[in-house]
Amino acid sequence: MEKRSKRILGIVGALAIALAACGGTTGTSGASGSPQGSAAKPDVKVGVVISLTGVGNVYGPTQKNGVELAAQRINDAGGVNGAKMVLVIDDDQSTTDGGVTAFRKQTSQDRVVAILGPTLSNTAVAAHPVAQSAQTPVIAISNTGDGIVGKCTYGKCDYIFRASLGESTAIPATVNIAKTKLNVKSVVLMYAQDDKFSSDGFAIFQKALATAGITVKKEIAFSKTDVDLSAQVTAALAESPDAIIDSSLAGPAILVLKEVNRRKPGMLVIGGNGFNTPAIITSAGAAAEGAVSGAAWYLGNPDPINKEFVAAYKAKYNVDPDQFAAQAYSGLYILLDALKRTPTVTSVLHDKLRDQIELTTGVKTPLGEFSFNASHDVNQKVYVVQIKNGAFTPLN
Amino acid sequence: MADQIYNAIFIGSIYALFALGFTLVFSVLDILNLAHPALFTLGAFTALFAMQQGMPAAAAVIVAFVVCGIAGVLLDRIAFAPLRRRNAPPLSAMISSIGVSLIVIRLIQLKYGPDLQAYPAGTLPAAVFPIGGLLVDTLRSVIIGLAVVLMLALTYLVRRTQLGRELRALAENPRAARILGIDVERAIAATFFLSAGLGGVAGVLYGFATNSPFSQMGLAFELKAFAVMIVGGMGSIPGAVLGAYLLSFGEIASLAFLPSELRDAFAFGLLFVVLLVRPTGILGQRAVDRV
Repeated sequence: MEKRSKRILGIVGALAIALAACGGTTGTSGASGSPQGSAAKPDVKVGVVISLTGVGNVYGPTQKNGVELAAQRINDAGGVNGAKMVLVIDDDQSTTDGGVTAFRKQTSQDRVVAILGPTLSNTAVAAHPVAQSAQTPVIAISNTGDGIVGKCTYGKCDYIFRASLGESTAIPATVNIAKTKLNVKSVVLMYAQDDKFSSDGFAIFQKALATAGITVKKEIAFSKTDVDLSAQVTAALAESPDAIIDSSLAGPAILVLKEVNRRKPGMLVIGGNGFNTPAIITSAGAAAEGAVSGAAWYLGNPDPINKEFVAAYKAKYNVDPDQFAAQAYSGLYILLDALKRTPTVTSVLHDKLRDQIELTTGVKTPLGEFSFNASHDVNQKVYVVQIKNGAFTPLN
Repeated sequence: MADQIYNAIFIGSIYALFALGFTLVFSVLDILNLAHPALFTLGAFTALFAMQQGMPAAAAVIVAFVVCGIAGVLLDRIAFAPLRRRNAPPLSAMISSIGVSLIVIRLIQLKYGPDLQAYPAGTLPAAVFPIGGLLVDTLRSVIIGLAVVLMLALTYLVRRTQLGRELRALAENPRAARILGIDVERAIAATFFLSAGLGGVAGVLYGFATNSPFSQMGLAFELKAFAVMIVGGMGSIPGAVLGAYLLSFGEIASLAFLPSELRDAFAFGLLFVVLLVRPTGILGQRAVDRV
């Protein structure tokens, strides 16, 4: 029952988007006044699979905003060489099954030229093989775990790309800055042991700290469902480290920051991607000041492309974008860049599109200049940011 | 060390407040009310809403108690009373409560989204002061104090008042209670009001302590409250309180003396040992003597 109503909602939503997009195109061609204009070219269908319901619905809705804004701006600027870009957005319900179903639908039924998504890494590992066997290129826009591109657990994955900065790149950069700029020599490493994102981040931190020659005085595991972390923080502070590292999602991170601030204000706390959300600042308040993390994007980046994106997003949705919105928005522009270079974009010549995505270099996005490396992974600047006066401020 | 004991008391108080409401409904009606975590969340968000309208924190706690209490009564009317009238097995009531829980959480998400929220800046006491070597903060101390007061008040109410006597009669034998002229529906409504009100207050206090209420915040407590309830003795109110502190002290002791990865194994292992020694729980008694 719930599923059906969701599906109906989805269809209504898709119709509304399609209608809105149609309206946009008519307006543009009317203004340009060219009679043979864009109407002659068939639409370019791009699939988007994101978590609009389930645990991932913290991220999916802003990703949806990001891609919809990008599609609107792309079509306003003439689409894909004159053809209109149409999004097919499906909910993966934050589950592997949901992701596989959506990928099957989009590759066989909608016949999209490429897919952005899915939101969560677990889902991605299950759904990407569907696109791989259908030879439909995928750009992952929010997966940070290992095994998403390059060497994939399920075998060949030469149609899969990742535009979201992985923790294995961001964390070593963060650790290096901590060592060189913040003079950190010893740390206590805290992590949520029952969460894949957090424990993966923990392993990456361990390795990066060893490489950088920083001493780990103690490792403290906790649970992502812990309702209070005061005891863990007390134990961590007893070791008197130079910094506390917390590999967790935003919820536990807030508990850690508040507790550290209560017991030892000014103590340096370093985190992973879980720290890169405005919720850290609003919920932890003054306790968030000074927290350091490595990010793919930050709101205050003065780069003109980013400023333009932030302003357009705010105008459309009346709220600041987050990293997920920025990555989703950038993902569509990265795809657009490759689509424009691919001779026939609408027929199912997916291998040609894949080749062009591989050639992506220096695309200007809110994330900065963007390229893919040889293993199809993101190649962009890592912004190591520190929270100062309630805003993420770059340290590098 | 003193710091860690203070931490254990704080966490135990929150567990206990949560488990109390859970236990109350179970002891009187034999229903596992799985909507309790949703009412907990509702409490935190009711206070958030009230404080966003400019209400002080203390008043918001009272508003949350009343709103959640009423929500609890409605919950009974909608989800449990119809099943009770048809003599449905307790399992149906449990499923029904899961449904209500999903609806309440979804409604909260519709209004506030799934993200972490924060109470208006400057509305919560933030002072921290050292007493000897111990760092005490106002908010946590108030929370501990309030939790203890509420536990004592509930115990007094159940043991010493007319309503308490009715509840105990109802727990013992609903039919006999009815024959003796007790207004059973009224007593049930009171049970739900108290249970949900306490759950709501627990939600507000926990929301205050973390200042990051979110729509799924109650779920983390569910499993622990179960454990606390069973170890304390199903349906025993002092038992639930005792179980809650036992769990929190167990968790923190293991953190101090063992590798942190083993914490849950140790804490729940401890509870398991308690059950081996006393299968009915620490204060568990025959069903007749419950409450």
